[in-house]
Amino acid sequence: MIEALRKELLLQWRTRAQATAVFVFGATSLLLFSFAIGPNASALRQHAAGFLWLALLLSSTLTLAETFHAEMEHRALEGLLLLPTSPRAIYYGKAIANWLQLALLGIALVPITVVLYDAGTPQLGSLILIILLGTAGISAPGTLYSAMTSQTTRGKQMLLPLLLFPLIVPVLLAAARATSLIILGDPMAQGASWLRLLAAFDAIYWSLCGLLFDRVVEE
Amino acid sequence: MTSNNHRFPRAPYALLTLGTILLLTGSYLGLFVAPPEHFMGDVQRIMYVHVPTAWNALLAMTFALFCAIAFLFRGGDFKWDARMEAAIEVGVLLAFLLCCQGAIWAKPTWGVWWDWDPRLTTTAVLLFAFIGILALRRFVDDPVRRGTWSAVATIIAYADVPIVYYSVTWWNSLHQLQSSPATVSKSFHLPLRMNAFAILFLMTGFIMLRARLASLRLEHELAPPPSHELDAVGELA
Amino acid sequence: MSGTITGGWGFVWAAYGLTAFFLTAYAVSLFVRLRNERSR
Repeated sequence: MIEALRKELLLQWRTRAQATAVFVFGATSLLLFSFAIGPNASALRQHAAGFLWLALLLSSTLTLAETFHAEMEHRALEGLLLLPTSPRAIYYGKAIANWLQLALLGIALVPITVVLYDAGTPQLGSLILIILLGTAGISAPGTLYSAMTSQTTRGKQMLLPLLLFPLIVPVLLAAARATSLIILGDPMAQGASWLRLLAAFDAIYWSLCGLLFDRVVEE
Repeated sequence: MTSNNHRFPRAPYALLTLGTILLLTGSYLGLFVAPPEHFMGDVQRIMYVHVPTAWNALLAMTFALFCAIAFLFRGGDFKWDARMEAAIEVGVLLAFLLCCQGAIWAKPTWGVWWDWDPRLTTTAVLLFAFIGILALRRFVDDPVRRGTWSAVATIIAYADVPIVYYSVTWWNSLHQLQSSPATVSKSFHLPLRMNAFAILFLMTGFIMLRARLASLRLEHELAPPPSHELDAVGELA
Repeated sequence: MSGTITGGWGFVWAAYGLTAFFLTAYAVSLFVRLRNERSR
């Protein structure tokens, strides 16, 4: 699995121009959301967390769609499966690589959020933890569904968000709430329970999707 | 076009007829005979159809999960795939009705169409998830892949149900939102039970017929009917 | 909830009517689709 992961990271490093484009997409989304609200400072601050996670979620569809692009382009999927690496290892390699990419994207979008929405916070460590847990939740099912939709002939772009978004609702809810508590203050220390929810979601989906992945790529 | 009446299975139609009769009777009782509830007044009568729909929607989705597991782990028998497709479609129908009924109930009760009730919100998420699975099925041409992928997607979607429910419940409790007391006047359960069985029979009849449709479609997909293979000159097209 | 809600029959009819409509519509669609598929 380490091999698979290393290969994925190498691939991502080679295509880092795409990562920049996705970041610009995310930043633009944040800008659009701010215009949708208007120059209402308190409303902007209140919704900053939600907007950050929405921007992250929308950008994730771009990132996830690319996951199997290289394999499909060169019909390498069958070749990959013939290797001694098990499909499970391939899945986890790709899912971890996606996770890291999304987490970096999330962290990169934080300064934009701070500037646009006046959403600064000193608790950077907790913020990074929330981003890590939340993006992990998006990456696990996202990688699985990306494997499916990459192999369809039509409707690729529409199917991935259609399948992923309803699933991801708890992640959006918990991550946005936890981030919001960090930005606006958490008098009753509720943040920890949201983090626990994220952790539970991650545990369930990282195992479930790993178990089911080989059924999705079998011939 | 030959008449296929001799092949029409009787069981689904009996279920549908029985279900319709029960639904009409139960609804009549709930609408006109049951006493109005203490606080909610007559609006509470919606519960006599809303609660049965809820039970059966969950039942349909659970049956879909069962079929998905059966298809994946019992050798890919397409009977299970057909039943799963049927259960998902009927489940989508019931979930859609549930959201409509819930909104219609919420407006006079809470003043808003959507009150973030955990059960209704989970239903809405499930509705969209399962519509997505139906869409997935449309875009995959290979039957084995279609069955396998949608079964996987069904399992993943179903695993989300308790998580979504729990997160919305937790969110509501933090914001001290009232939970919707979707109760029924304790003295009069008869219309509730009648409608519950009514919708159960209707749902089962629907699923049986819809599964039959799915099986037929698969048959035609795998071996097109011979009459269409000859073109105008009588040669194989 | 303090007071009672009076009336609201419009909502009740809407709920029951909508339910009946969609159940019937689905049944009809099933019959039509089945008939079309059988006659292929």
